[in-house]
Order: sequence, then C-alpha cells, then structure tokens
Amino acid sequence: MSDAVARNVLGGSAMSNFILKACDLHKTYLSGERRLEVLHGVSLSVSDGESVSIRGESGSGKSTLLHLLAGLDVPDSGTVHWEGVPDTGARQRARFLGMVFQSFYLIPELDAVGNVLMAARVAGKVGAIERQRAQDLLARVGLSERGHHLPSQLSGGERQRVAVARALMNAPRLILADEPTGNLDEKTGDSIIDLLLGLCSEQRIALVLVTHNAVHAARTARMLFMRDGVLQNTNL
Amino acid sequence: MPWYLYLALKQLFPSGKWLSFFTAISILGVALGVATLVVTNSVMGGFGYEIRRMIIDTQGDVQIRARSLIEDSGPLLSSVAKVPGVVGVTPFAEGVGMLEYGRKPAFPLIQGVDVNRVNDVIPLSRFIRVGSLDELDDDTVILSSQLAYSLGVHIGGKVTISSPLLIERLKNDEVFLPRELVVVGIFEIGHQQLDSNTVLVTLRRMQDLYGLGEAIHGVNVKIADGLDADAMAARINAVLPEASDMRAHSWINANSEFLFVLQMEKNLVSILLLFIILVASFSIMSSLLTTVVRKTREIGLLGALGGRSREIAACFCVQGFLIGLIGTGTGLALGFGFLHLRNDILLLFTRLTGSQEALERFYQFSNVPAHMESADLVMIVVGTIVISTLAGIFPAWRASRLNPVEALRNE
Repeated sequence: MSDAVARNVLGGSAMSNFILKACDLHKTYLSGERRLEVLHGVSLSVSDGESVSIRGESGSGKSTLLHLLAGLDVPDSGTVHWEGVPDTGARQRARFLGMVFQSFYLIPELDAVGNVLMAARVAGKVGAIERQRAQDLLARVGLSERGHHLPSQLSGGERQRVAVARALMNAPRLILADEPTGNLDEKTGDSIIDLLLGLCSEQRIALVLVTHNAVHAARTARMLFMRDGVLQNTNL
Repeated sequence: MPWYLYLALKQLFPSGKWLSFFTAISILGVALGVATLVVTNSVMGGFGYEIRRMIIDTQGDVQIRARSLIEDSGPLLSSVAKVPGVVGVTPFAEGVGMLEYGRKPAFPLIQGVDVNRVNDVIPLSRFIRVGSLDELDDDTVILSSQLAYSLGVHIGGKVTISSPLLIERLKNDEVFLPRELVVVGIFEIGHQQLDSNTVLVTLRRMQDLYGLGEAIHGVNVKIADGLDADAMAARINAVLPEASDMRAHSWINANSEFLFVLQMEKNLVSILLLFIILVASFSIMSSLLTTVVRKTREIGLLGALGGRSREIAACFCVQGFLIGLIGTGTGLALGFGFLHLRNDILLLFTRLTGSQEALERFYQFSNVPAHMESADLVMIVVGTIVISTLAGIFPAWRASRLNPVEALRNE
C-alpha cells in the first residue's frame, strides 16, 4: 500500500483531539533465516470517543499493530503517542488503556469481582470507590449476581463480560479489543459487541476493535482493513 | 497491599479453597524438612545437653585433682572458697569396691562425699528417689537405683562393702573386715551408667575403706551462674599452692575431646539434614517454574494491565518466601509436637521392636532428651526461609523475562 493511503488513514477521521496517534510503524520478525516485514509504515489516529474497526486476513498484522498500539511491543521504526505523549510505559498503560482479548485471560484464582479489581490493583489503588465501581461495572455487564463466581464457574460469554468490565475499570481513554468475539457463538458475540460499543459510547471511550466479523466491524464509526501489513480505509 | 503480593497470596490460597495442590505439596516438603531438622537437632542437642548437665551435676563446674593424694584439705577448701565467683566447694574420695547383699556381689564405683557440703556443689538431694540424704552417716549407704534393683535390696537392708585395701592388708597378714552398712536411700540421676553402678558413702567412710587417713582425691567446685568455667578454673589455679601438683580443670576442659565429638556429630547431622531443605527448595523451584509455564498468558495479561517486569518477578519471589514461611511454621509445629510426644513414640517403638533394654544400655538415658539452642532454631528458621525465597528467584526471573506479546500468543 502506498504512503498516500497511509496518510489518508492517518487523517481519516474528521475529528481532531487524537488520543492515539501512530505514525509510520514498521515491524519485522525473523522467521528462521528470513525477515518478514509484518507492518509497512502503518499510521493511525484515533480521536476521543471514536470507534474504529480493523479487519483483515489471518497473519495480515492486525494483532501486531494492536500490540504496538498498546505499547506491549516496540516498532522497528515509527512512533506511538497516547494523548500526544510518546510514553507507552507500563504505568501509563494501566491508566490510559483497557484491553479485551479473544481468550478472555481471566485469572482463574480470582472471582469475577477480583478479576475486575485486578486492573485497579495494578494501577495502584483499591479502595471503597474502586470496589463499588467494580460492582457497578459487573452490574452494567449483567453479572451483578455472579461477582463471587470463579472464571471456571462462568460461561464463555460471561467471562468475556468480566473481561470487558475489567478493561473499563480504570476509566481508560482507549480500549483495544483483539477479536473479542472469536471464541463465542454468534448470539453471545453480538451481545458482547453491543456491550462494548454501548459502554464506550456511554463513557466516551475510544475503541479499536480488531475483528473478522464484517457485521461487527460495520457498527463502528470507522472501518479499516489490514492487508499485507498495510492499513486501508474501507470507508473511502 | 501491592498487587503482586495480593496475587501471590491468591495463587497460593485461591478463592474458595484452602490452598492449591501445588502449595500444599511445596509447604509439606519444607515442613517435613524443618520438622526433621528440629527433631534431630533437639534430640542430638538433648543428648549433649544431658551429658553436659550430668557432668556438672556430678562433678561441679570445676574439679581440682592431684596426681597424688591431697593431704590436709582444710586450708585448700577455705582458700578456694574465697575465690570470687566460687559458690561452693566439697571434697571427695572415690574408688571401686566390692559390695555384697544376700550373696550377690557387685563392683560399684564408691563415692565418698562430705554430707555437710556436697549439696552446695552437687544437687544430690534432687536425685534421691527413696530415703533421704540426711540419713547418710558413717554406718549407712545410698545406692543407685538400678544397682539396688539388681541386688534386690530395699531401704533398711544391710550390705557389706570392702575395698582393695582388704588384699593389701592380707599381704601383711592383717585382716581388714568388710564394713556392714545400712541402706538409707536410693538415687537416680537419669544416666544409665551412673544409675546402674554407683554407691554413695560419707567421706570419712571412704577414707576408712581406702585407708586414706585425712586425705582426699579431689575437690568439686561450683561457680556462680553465668560465669565462664575455664576462666574460673584459671582463677582457682592461681590460688593453689605452687609446690603442689594440684590442678583445677573446668568441666569443659576435662571433657574437651568428648564435647568436641558431640558437637561435631551434631553439626554433621545438621549439614546432612540441610539437604532435605535443599531438596524441598528444588521442589518449590520446580513447582514455581511449572506455574510460570502454566500461567504464561496470565503473565502476558499482567503486562497488558500495566504490571512491570520487576513486580511480576516479585509475585513469584513472594510465593517462594511465603511457602518457606508457612512451611517453616508448620515444620516447627510438627517438630515440636513430635518432640512433645517423643517418649511415648519411643516407648511404642521399643515395645514393638523389643529394644528397650538395648536402648538404655547403649544410649545411657531412660528418656529421650531434647534440647534446642536458640541459635540453632534461628539458623533453621532463617536458613529455610532464605533457601525457599532463593528457590523462587529463578522462576521469578523467567517470568519477568517473558515478553508480554509472546506470552499472550502462547498456546
């Protein structure tokens, strides 16, 4: 994909006030003797409260991009800014970002409330306010009666709801969701997307949704497509 | 509470469970190691302590002896008694004699004691089981418990005692008649050798039996609590007549080789048993490494939530520390519980194996002694917790080195 498209994607939103801005990201991996370039100069900006979907074939670089945006991995070149600041360190991540994964990644030894509160614990504060917020979030995702159930006692959809509540716990500015419906049946998947989009819109949280599902992608404000490490704006 | 400490506690003690299987096995491993160390160290220490106590209780803290007989002991006793730190002095004479009761002979060690002074140094009254030390005079005798039992003699029984002087007198065509003494007491010290073959008579009677006149064989000295026995022996030597061949020896110096062997034996056993703790620590390390592998994706998640590498490392280090701490606590409870019941357990064991007599014969004690030095206890507790924590460091390092992205991708 050409630089022109990348620039186009970067400026794709009509909104200003970017809370996420990634410029010209390159990432290569070694595969045996070969160097595989996974991302070819990807740029992306996300405005406050905006929802963006990224679709693409398996291996196209969606998850790699998401990890770079989350500050979990470092690009070979290019920059990532959160709220205009190039700090994507662990402490900043706890406050700024919420993540939802395909495989939920709940901690099996903690009950639902414990899992939601874990985000606050890592951010460094757990008090009465946080406990109440965790309860409220569980109620908001429809699990007010299941707060003391362990992940093993919850269904896949319920686990993902807990994961969504955990992602929202620290009132982040941005949620990165990596195929959050990939392990769920269609109906449950739809309800999770309803929940994610509804909560993000309600709390004015930006959302970057990586998904294979075109219907889910279509429900976001902006749809992007990743092909061979290049991000294309499908709205164009 | 920092999140890594909270998570470490939750991984060891998950919600809805007492503790995880891995935690239980790791704690049990450490606990068994600590319990074995405590029991072995206490029993070994107990034997050493009992032997030391017995030496002090039967010889005093310092003993003055000479290569020849000590004539005119009066001035010696008063000069030693004036040494600062000396709280009691008592002269003694000792030797082997022949004792007979109802045509049954025995060849006990006869101790001649000054009944007016002996309790100042040796707590003989404490060891009297039947009768009284006050009854001891030149015509009476006190027997050790097993000697009395083997001869079948009771309080009021009459025994005859003769000494090697009998043979010496016979050479000169003189007759030395055995002395008939009335049994007025039976004592038990708790040491099999002493309890099976010792007789107490007055010093005068012993001097008579051995033809010593006014001479004695030595002086037992008791020093004030807390004073160093070697230093006190040196002080006493300074007041002994220069021309004499008398020397004061502390109980430590007099039994130095024996005490060295005791200490060496205890140290060697402790070092060998330390390997139990090391094996337990490898078990902790192996379990924590398994946990790191099992929880790779959760470690990735913690990174995604904003956890730092050093905090993730601390989570596993804390688990090693907590396993060590709880394992040590449990081990101490098990060990001291076992020690509390040691005599019952030994009794049961010897009954089952029919080995009670052999045990008493070889180990000298009727009960299993136990004594734990506080320094040894501190070493066991601190050593175990440190080793357990160290066992958590390698898994912690592995966990902290995990790349969150690779960890999240882990299948």
